[in-house]
Amino acid sequence: MRLRDEVRDAVRAAGPAGGAAAPAASSARDGGRTGVGGTTSDLTIDETLLLHSAGWEPVDLVYGVSWWSIPWGVWQWSTGEVQEATAAFAGAVDQAAKLLRQECEKAGGSGVLGVEIGIRVSSHHVAIELSGTAVRRTQGTRPTFEFISDLSARDFVLLTRAGWWPLGLAAGASFVVAPRRTARQWAAQQGQNTELPNLTEALYLARERAMERMQRSGAAMKAEGIVAVKLREGRASSGVRVMQFVAIGTGVHLRTGEHRSIAPTMVVALDELVRQFDVKSLRSASTQ
Amino acid sequence: MASQAAPGEDLPEAAGRRLSTGAWSSGLSVADFSSSLEMGMDPVGYVQGYAVMQWSWYMATGGFGAGFGGGAGFGGGWAAGPQRHGQYVEQWQCPHGFVSAEHRMYGANYELTWLEQSWATGWSLATTRMVEEATSLGATGIVGVVDSMRPLTGGAVVEFRSSGTAVAVRDAPRLTTPFSTYLSGQRLAKLIEAGFAPISVVATLSSVRMLGYCITHYQLAGSTAGTWYGSGAGGVSGVGPVDQVNRAQAAVRRLARERIRAQLGSDVLHGAHMEQSEREIGEGDLSIQCTLKGNRVRPFKDFDPLPEPLPVVRLA
Repeated sequence: MRLRDEVRDAVRAAGPAGGAAAPAASSARDGGRTGVGGTTSDLTIDETLLLHSAGWEPVDLVYGVSWWSIPWGVWQWSTGEVQEATAAFAGAVDQAAKLLRQECEKAGGSGVLGVEIGIRVSSHHVAIELSGTAVRRTQGTRPTFEFISDLSARDFVLLTRAGWWPLGLAAGASFVVAPRRTARQWAAQQGQNTELPNLTEALYLARERAMERMQRSGAAMKAEGIVAVKLREGRASSGVRVMQFVAIGTGVHLRTGEHRSIAPTMVVALDELVRQFDVKSLRSASTQ
Repeated sequence: MASQAAPGEDLPEAAGRRLSTGAWSSGLSVADFSSSLEMGMDPVGYVQGYAVMQWSWYMATGGFGAGFGGGAGFGGGWAAGPQRHGQYVEQWQCPHGFVSAEHRMYGANYELTWLEQSWATGWSLATTRMVEEATSLGATGIVGVVDSMRPLTGGAVVEFRSSGTAVAVRDAPRLTTPFSTYLSGQRLAKLIEAGFAPISVVATLSSVRMLGYCITHYQLAGSTAGTWYGSGAGGVSGVGPVDQVNRAQAAVRRLARERIRAQLGSDVLHGAHMEQSEREIGEGDLSIQCTLKGNRVRPFKDFDPLPEPLPVVRLA
């Protein structure tokens, strides 16, 4: 009953007395060039409620985008790590994060949560796109910038309850051109399913460099660890012998001196899918 | 049916007949349907709005500069043309002087207001028509709105589509304009319990065209032209930020956010969804679009915070 009463209250607030339920359509038509704005957020209602329960609230949608150029020819004429691409990646991540921070501070936020990370690496440029929701404490003094994190609001609340705190995005990348096989190797491997050591080694080299850079980036922000690391590895679009490895996560540190147990309660969910005996497929299998 | 010039209240005759039969339809899942009933919202009809529009990414007349310079041609003094108030325009000038006829001596980032207006018109028509159907059913609001834009017949005709389930709230006052929201079921219930009233769906598209000048052109082509005389004198270093692209990318997002905020008044945008795309329209030139949509909601009571949540480990 309480919910129904609240729904009726909400409808009253949405009406003309509440001040213009004019459809968005009408204001969108003139490009929406009039009026002033309120809070914007890409958080779900669950995330918003959870953040409030932890003493935080959304402020504004913020973004940081950076494209860095890579000179022509760097992928073709060498083997080993492509320093220019690696430097372009690092520069672009750094600049995009700085722009995101500027946006957050301008909006009056203390941190950015749920950052979506777009990474594109082409022959001649690296594009890094970061966007998320700036958040601030519901109570307290003037906000000072504290963190950028790709953790969801749920993960953020869990992390902080355990005594840990996000600091920033830690990222590392490496792009390695694998050497060609010698004619002898090529001939020896024909007609066999066998490992291609030149490509495996290139991938391993890229991985070590990328992971090392990510950890160094975490250490530079005084993080004790990096959580929710996401990896992107495999062939780069720049060529068949170019292996890429990108690692990115959120640097965290322990703020309370020691880890606090969140003492989870164990539950057996009753809405899980039940394993079922599939008579139909058994029948069809027996007739084959 | 709403016309492009002036939205009206009339519906097609067939739609009027269908909606007056008494039986209702709904686009809600069974779970959302039962949640709606729990909230005192009765489905009254599955309402839709469509608008089919001729569509081009290029303006038929004027070409370059028509979007911001009143038709001024390339190199013809694009800052001289009349600009719409608040329209985004930035210019870049080549640091090299005259090199050749093919050299990109000027570059510009500019907002394609005509494209933004076309999109706003198509989206508004579809949404307004959907709302009109709900109004004719006596609905209080529309929940679970789904909208899209897609090519209909070839590349030059696109369809804007909005649909949702019209609901009537028991014992609630009838609104002149029913509310609309992308949310339904439990998510809507939680929104209201948290103290936010759904007002309307809001969406916008911003579009920026970037015509690269020589430096941007070199950078996007991977060229290191002029490195020997330094970047300060117009040389392009191998690795570095592509400033013109970065400015355009930031501008397209800023414009989308400003538009949405302008539609909100003092309300709040909840569950925003931002999508960005770009197309290369020539060597070193880009067309960048950003759509931003979400739920306009209005606080109607003091925020009702959740008790501290209980962490659980599922054993299934």
